[in-house]
Amino acid sequence: MGLNFLHDHNLLALAIVIAKVVFLLVLLLQIPPLMIWLERRAPALMQRRRGPNRVGLFKWRLWGLLQSLADAIKLIFKEEIAPAGAHKALFQLAPLLGVIPAFVIVAVIPFGQTITLANGMTIPLSLTQLDVGFLFILAFSSLGVYSVAVAGWASNSKYSLLGSLRASAQMISYEIPLGLSLIPIVLIYGTFDLNSIVAAQEQVWGVVKAPLSFVIFLVCMFAETNRAPFDMAEGEAELVAGFHTEYGSTKFAAFFLSEYVVMFVLSCLAATLFFGGWQIPFISHAWLLATFGTAVAALLGFGALLLKAAFFMWLYVWVRWTLPRFRYDRLMALGWKFLLPLGLFNILLTSVILGSY
Amino acid sequence: MMDSAPLVFYTLAALITFSSIMVVAARTPVISALFLVLDLFLLACVYASLNANFVAVIQVLVYAGAILVLFLFVIMMLNVPRVRSKPRIKALDGLLITMVMVAFLYMLYRVIAQYLSPLPVESAGGSNTEAVGKLLFVEHLWAFELASFLILLAMVASIVITKKRAAP
Amino acid sequence: MSPDHYYALALIMFVCGVIGITLRRNLIVIMMSIELLLNSVNLIFVAASKAHGLVDGQVMVLFIITIAACEAAVGLAMVIALYRRYGTIDTDFYRMLRG
Repeated sequence: MGLNFLHDHNLLALAIVIAKVVFLLVLLLQIPPLMIWLERRAPALMQRRRGPNRVGLFKWRLWGLLQSLADAIKLIFKEEIAPAGAHKALFQLAPLLGVIPAFVIVAVIPFGQTITLANGMTIPLSLTQLDVGFLFILAFSSLGVYSVAVAGWASNSKYSLLGSLRASAQMISYEIPLGLSLIPIVLIYGTFDLNSIVAAQEQVWGVVKAPLSFVIFLVCMFAETNRAPFDMAEGEAELVAGFHTEYGSTKFAAFFLSEYVVMFVLSCLAATLFFGGWQIPFISHAWLLATFGTAVAALLGFGALLLKAAFFMWLYVWVRWTLPRFRYDRLMALGWKFLLPLGLFNILLTSVILGSY
Repeated sequence: MMDSAPLVFYTLAALITFSSIMVVAARTPVISALFLVLDLFLLACVYASLNANFVAVIQVLVYAGAILVLFLFVIMMLNVPRVRSKPRIKALDGLLITMVMVAFLYMLYRVIAQYLSPLPVESAGGSNTEAVGKLLFVEHLWAFELASFLILLAMVASIVITKKRAAP
Repeated sequence: MSPDHYYALALIMFVCGVIGITLRRNLIVIMMSIELLLNSVNLIFVAASKAHGLVDGQVMVLFIITIAACEAAVGLAMVIALYRRYGTIDTDFYRMLRG
């Protein structure tokens, strides 16, 4: 049985693809522990207390970095329980439904310029290159809502059901302004392909050309990931953590994993669409390539993207500990009565400006 | 070198058949809805294997990501207690309709197959998205505008239908 | 791959949909069966567009998805209205139109 990608010439290409997959997986699995640590230390900093700073390795405390590791180990070894009357199969399936789309999305994000080897072989620094690039991201991030909906329904608990109803309504509502906010980007750059969009931002960042889009995208980004100030789905005070009330152990950890991975991916997308992706500001990539060689230039670009993404991750934490939670009806009103018309107006404005030039 | 396309297609086809049957056969509506999501997702995979990338992504984005969420949302909101509705047994009429439909479709299929199968033209080069876009906004512009009007109508209609009347 | 295979798959989906519409009594399941029908038609359009090397079929699929969205919105709104009126979504209980 010969699958056509196993042709001997392509064996190297296959190895490269596998290497990229492993690298991205390892990278993504580092995100949640770091974020959980940040989400305890950052508010501690803001509120003038210490936060978890004890767990370390032998005599080094490492600012408590290993607290997350300890938490992960604790969660994994906890007992798996399902509430009475839960739909067993769906209860197990729900966390997976969240994790899978979260990891799939990363496949299209470009982490650097396509590398050309000495023998003429090219290695694109993203898993796949699709001509529908960020539509793919929108499509898979919209699948994440099933995890929340199924978790709430399968738990057979009224808090979970309420939480998941709120969350799914919120997520499908904010997908519309999110999609609308990206249309001006397509109008300006004339492509859905993320690589071309990054390449086109060498001189001017996207945020300068489409500032309104960025504002709408930023708000929707918070709503799509159910993060504060839009974390109605959880609402600890009203809904006892909403859709994952009944979850414990590894499955609870899986919800956290998917939440942080989606946050990271949307941060990367924001950096890619509005802040030049892997391009370092004021330094041309061609110059870097000529001066430092391929490997260093690629690494520097990758570092630039990670830094930009890290800024948005910090923003998530910052906002969470600064703004109070929205009331639910106001959240819906903001989405439908403000962001949606604003997004339509933005498209009109961009088309008029583009058309008149 | 063997082509892997048939293998991919038959796997997808088997899964699609299974999930289509489960949509109809599952007792609880939530399970039906989830199998329909799976069905639509696999169909998107088939579209992608046919080089229809744009349609595949739109299928996932709009169909699986929005329309089916609406279904699931309504099922959960109505929260009809998990009564297992059995299929109607006295459904001789239903079976008859089904058989007629099957026969009719089989004939249709034969006819279409006769006309279409000797045309193995490969699709033209260039980006799929671009081709779809050009066709949509040049040749089918009026249909496109009408579709947008239809959506507006549907939006207004659904709001009017679900609006709670003030007590008389 | 000849397009016949795709048409056969579409046929299977269509038959599943028709069976669902005729045999099930849950309104929402009936609406989901209608979605199955629409999707089988979509599959035929995409397969035919590939077989002919034309993109028109794919444009038609976009229109069908639009119509499906409208149908789902209005249909589900009616389901909710009916549920409020009768307290059930079982079609056997709707006797208003019977003589």
